[in-house]
Amino acid sequence: MVLTNECVLGVENLNIARSGSLVVKDASFKIMRRDYVGIVGPNGGGKTTLFLAILGLIPAQSGRIRIFGQDAPSFSSWERIAYVSQDAINFDSNFPITVRELVSLGRVKRGNLGRPLKRDDWHAVDDALDFMGILDIGEKRVGQLSGGQKQRAFVAKALVRNPEIIFLDEPIAGIDAATQERFYQKMSDLNTARGITILMVSHDLAAVFCRMSKVICVNRSVNVSDISPDTDPNSVLREAYGEHFHFVYHRHECAGEFKND
Amino acid sequence: MIDFLPALLKLLGYQFFQYALIGGVLATLACAWIGLFLILRKESMIVDGIAHTAFGGIAIGVFFSINPILPALLISAIAVLGISYMRKKGLAQSDSAIAVMLALGFSTGLIIISLAGGFSVELFSYLFGSILTISYADLIIVSALSITALLFLSIFYKELLCISFDEESSRLTGIPVEIISTAFNIMVAVTIVVSIKIIGIILVIALIVIPALSALQLRLSFKKTMAATVILGITGVVAGLFLSAAYDVATSGVIVFALLGMFIISALIGRR
Repeated sequence: MVLTNECVLGVENLNIARSGSLVVKDASFKIMRRDYVGIVGPNGGGKTTLFLAILGLIPAQSGRIRIFGQDAPSFSSWERIAYVSQDAINFDSNFPITVRELVSLGRVKRGNLGRPLKRDDWHAVDDALDFMGILDIGEKRVGQLSGGQKQRAFVAKALVRNPEIIFLDEPIAGIDAATQERFYQKMSDLNTARGITILMVSHDLAAVFCRMSKVICVNRSVNVSDISPDTDPNSVLREAYGEHFHFVYHRHECAGEFKND
Repeated sequence: MIDFLPALLKLLGYQFFQYALIGGVLATLACAWIGLFLILRKESMIVDGIAHTAFGGIAIGVFFSINPILPALLISAIAVLGISYMRKKGLAQSDSAIAVMLALGFSTGLIIISLAGGFSVELFSYLFGSILTISYADLIIVSALSITALLFLSIFYKELLCISFDEESSRLTGIPVEIISTAFNIMVAVTIVVSIKIIGIILVIALIVIPALSALQLRLSFKKTMAATVILGITGVVAGLFLSAAYDVATSGVIVFALLGMFIISALIGRR
């Protein structure tokens, strides 16, 4: 039985330093199961650093991170979490690997060390490809894909692990608007239909305020707000972007975007 | 040219040629396969470094009259671990760490040789390879070590692919990246030492790098690239063995030319 109001990620007084200077200062927030969280803030503000520290890929200076109620240093069920890094798609395009092979790497875990993938694994791979709409290009080499296709392949690789939380670091930077819109739609589906908690770094403020349930503004300081129909984005965003920031945004612009097409 | 085929068949009847064929094919299987992972990890120059370092071990073996493969194996394994230690501790980048080990191993070899009173025929055979004169004892060692490397690669191939593709995200999957990488590095040392017997220290890198590089030209899936690597490597080595035995020219040189032939053909097919 999964509690819907369960706290899946808790951060308390987290400080993170990189090469001597404090990048994230005194961050405290809670993420509940099924939250759909947008992480916004200026470049260099510490969004990626925050992700890396939560994932244990860089050390925190002080503070506490709890994942599924367990202290991060002793947490070991990493298969419950998936991460798509900012530069995932910038890999050597000559690497000999097909989309299907790439996604299958998401099924590699401690539990099947030294054993070949089973039929279930390959079913899960095809499901993830299908969900991301790239089943038809499964046998293509990843190096031949367009940016949008590559990105969907890497998200499929994350999804194939059946994670409970997925961290996406700017998954759709540099992709055309229509593709971006389809991508956000997919992520909404994932959040509502599969109940996956999503944390996504994004520069698309309209998408964040239209689609997501929480927003974390990161600019050394970290502020969290729930997003509801009466949230004023500007009061939230000024925390991160400064007093003179003005984001032109009308709630009614969102109206059409919540529909499933 | 007319009696070429009967000459080849006659070769197959000789025991020395059978040994060379078995040892060559097994070592090439391991070399070609490990080379693919090395190229994908952009670490192929480690081969040249380790092969030269192994020369120190070979010299020790010759000097003390023990089978040189064994001390070479030990020195190479230490060198591989030393390189990853220097890299991890920030003492040196990969390429400069390799350079240090290469110099250390090779100069150890030179000092020991001068103490022993100069180069012998046996030492030359390790520098340039001597597959056609491989002894039964060496064949057993070469086969056992090749099979060990092949077993390791076939058991952990999906983890190795995962790590070669993206080391950071592999850590998140919970697979023991450090242990597998260290074991892989030791297998690299094993494979290099084995192929010294086949093709010699100076040309080992060809046997490890060219088959995989040729297969990569074909732009296939990972599975098919692995298969192509092995097929191209074995074809090159077997062709080289036959040609060198038939025309009595240096085996290592002919093998490298045969492998380069495979590379050119693959590149032409890949560019179409």
